[in-house]
Amino acid sequence: MDIKKKLEYQSNYWYNDGLKRAQIQDMTGAIASLRRSLQYSQSNITARNLLGLLLYGRGEVAEALVQWIISRNFQASGNIAEYYIQKVQSSKSELEVINQVVKKYNQCLQYCSQGGEDLAIIQLKKVVTEHPSFLKAYQLLGLLYLHTEQYGKARQVLRKAHRLDTTDPITLSYLHELNRAQKKKAVSIKEGKEQPAVSYKLGNETIIQPAQGVRENSPMFTIVNIAIGILVGAAVMWFLIMPAVNQSKSQEANESIVEASDQIATQKSEISALKKELEGYRTKSDEAQTAKETAKSTQSSYEALLDVTTKYAAGTESNQNLASTLLSINKDSLGEDGKAQYDKLADSIFPSVCRRQYNRGIASFDVKNYDTAVEALAMVVKMDEEYDDGNAMYVLAQAYEATGDTNNAKTYYQKVTEQFSGTEMAEEAQSKLEALNAAADQNAANQNAAADQNGQGAEDSSSQEQDTTE
Amino acid sequence: MLNFEEELKKFQPSLEVEDIEKAVYQEDLTDMSEILKEVVEKSK
Repeated sequence: MDIKKKLEYQSNYWYNDGLKRAQIQDMTGAIASLRRSLQYSQSNITARNLLGLLLYGRGEVAEALVQWIISRNFQASGNIAEYYIQKVQSSKSELEVINQVVKKYNQCLQYCSQGGEDLAIIQLKKVVTEHPSFLKAYQLLGLLYLHTEQYGKARQVLRKAHRLDTTDPITLSYLHELNRAQKKKAVSIKEGKEQPAVSYKLGNETIIQPAQGVRENSPMFTIVNIAIGILVGAAVMWFLIMPAVNQSKSQEANESIVEASDQIATQKSEISALKKELEGYRTKSDEAQTAKETAKSTQSSYEALLDVTTKYAAGTESNQNLASTLLSINKDSLGEDGKAQYDKLADSIFPSVCRRQYNRGIASFDVKNYDTAVEALAMVVKMDEEYDDGNAMYVLAQAYEATGDTNNAKTYYQKVTEQFSGTEMAEEAQSKLEALNAAADQNAANQNAAADQNGQGAEDSSSQEQDTTE
Repeated sequence: MLNFEEELKKFQPSLEVEDIEKAVYQEDLTDMSEILKEVVEKSK
């Protein structure tokens, strides 16, 4: 076996070793084996292609392309490297994004060398978001978190890096350092009572965290917190709960007022309806009373008319009494037949009675027996107002005036002036009426003057009494 | 305890796409057979 064959065998041996390691995610070991394989034979395109694939898996796309391009140069046809290259180049936007991410990573390295860890952390967060398989970015970010003692974040980042490559020495060393640092921190927390404060660096800033024991063990803070809580509770009660309670109370009061108003309105309407009903009953009662009285009057009128008719026919009663009975009859309450009967009797009885009573009245007036004159002449006027061309009424008025009954006197003087106007008797009645009115006015004036004098006299006497008292 | 500065030195700039061609040319493609050839030639 010549040397060339032996070298190829050796190269294949390391290729197989690299393949085994790659299958168990031992990327670093696989890459080392494959590079060794290529040292034995640069033309081992299988080993080179696998090396490119592993570099691609760690996020180093440009390095992977370098290996695949070299592989293609060794064997242009039937080489899977050609497929890989085309696959990467087909998505130019993705390649451009990865290129930008790589540039940012390189920029982060510059930030770190210049002391800008905080900027580098921010930039690296973006890098790992845009290119999640970029192993070196995770490792650098983990280192920065370790440096700033952000151990929780460092652990998260380093776990992702460990998933990409389980045997990368950098990742493993950082994880080891992380565990050590956290153990140290746990011990320091246990001994924290003795430490006044915990300080750590975040970028350029040094953050000093005060020890918790100070707050927990201070009774003053507890009292202040309770007082603040009470104040806040009172403020909430005053500004939020009380207005709502007051509003609900006022709303209930308004509702009760509205309900009471409705009840009052209902009762008012009921009262109004009852009043109307009562008025209706009263009206009906009045009407019934009137009807009753009318019926009574009608009955008595008919009875009197029947009585007069019977007595007049029998001739047992004087005309004077019959006339009196007839005058007591309410003629309006009679029917047509009754009225006709009344007129018939009146025509038969009244003339003789009028003549007799008129003579009696005039005679009594002449002897100044005014009461008898009034009685007789009143009956005459009642039977016939125009008797003796109104002279009976005129003398009646004078008799009334003589008895001092000025109201009846005025009434009959007025009737004489109206019913017999243009006669001498009417003029005399008018003058007598005016004289009565003037006398009445004079009396009223005299009474007022007397009342004024009495009032003045009373005031004078009271003032005199007052002066005396003083 | 890690030395931050020393650790930073382990991180080298990653290869950008524009530099691929240059990297291809700079790749050392010397293998064991070529070294042996050189050794044999020098021994002659």
